[in-house]
Amino acid sequence: MNLVHLFLGALLLVTGFLAVRLKNAVHAALALAANFILMGVVYMLLEARFLGWIQIIVYAGAIMVLFVFVIMLLYAKEAEPGVDPLPGLRPAAAGIAALGFLALLYAFSGFKAPITEEAAQAALSGGSAEVMGPVLWQTWLYAVLLVAALLLVATVAAVAILRPGEGGKR
Amino acid sequence: MNVFYLMVSAALFALGAYGVLARRSAILVFMSVELMLNAANLALIVFAKAWGSLFAQGAAVLLIALAAAEVAVGLALVVAIYRTRETTLVDDLSELKG
Repeated sequence: MNLVHLFLGALLLVTGFLAVRLKNAVHAALALAANFILMGVVYMLLEARFLGWIQIIVYAGAIMVLFVFVIMLLYAKEAEPGVDPLPGLRPAAAGIAALGFLALLYAFSGFKAPITEEAAQAALSGGSAEVMGPVLWQTWLYAVLLVAALLLVATVAAVAILRPGEGGKR
Repeated sequence: MNVFYLMVSAALFALGAYGVLARRSAILVFMSVELMLNAANLALIVFAKAWGSLFAQGAAVLLIALAAAEVAVGLALVVAIYRTRETTLVDDLSELKG
């Protein structure tokens, strides 16, 4: 437990808070992108280097750019336009979120790692692509293929939903 | 260190839950869902480190791919709703109410 981890944790919380509170939708999306990049750094520090890069490439690179594109496309710059139909919603939402946080804290409070730090480091060997390859392409080959098929189906569905002419303008 | 990151993960999950409940634009609700998903992924990575299991990290890779598929379909739905209703505010999308 050193200063780097404290600093990263604090930055994660600040960017996460900004992502759910900022008024401008583009700013919120960029705060979330920063959160995802920091998350990738944390993954690398937690012996998951391959996953850290995947996080930065897929989440911060692809997914957040998609979000920013859609925000620009829909002119949804203002996150909170007009009057609030449910004025008491914010405190209630904060209360529910705080309750969830406390429940999770209670669940995590007694956590102890079952093996020592050194044994875990030896078993993971940094989580590099070299050790992740056999896991993904041998043990879990069919899962990877299924997820690949699912991604293809999702892409086709996204194109089909937005195909002009049918179900488009009413 | 493990418990510290588990607490960060819990806090991020709670922040995401707050965003889902308090945000009014469908895109921003969706972004908060992504934050919750990432918090869960962080917890998974911490557990992978605690148990020294590469398979947990493999599960996290698959989760990220699933999240990408989810975002593709979800954002397509948001755009489709905007095309027909001219709004993405969740308060205005109330045609299914009983």
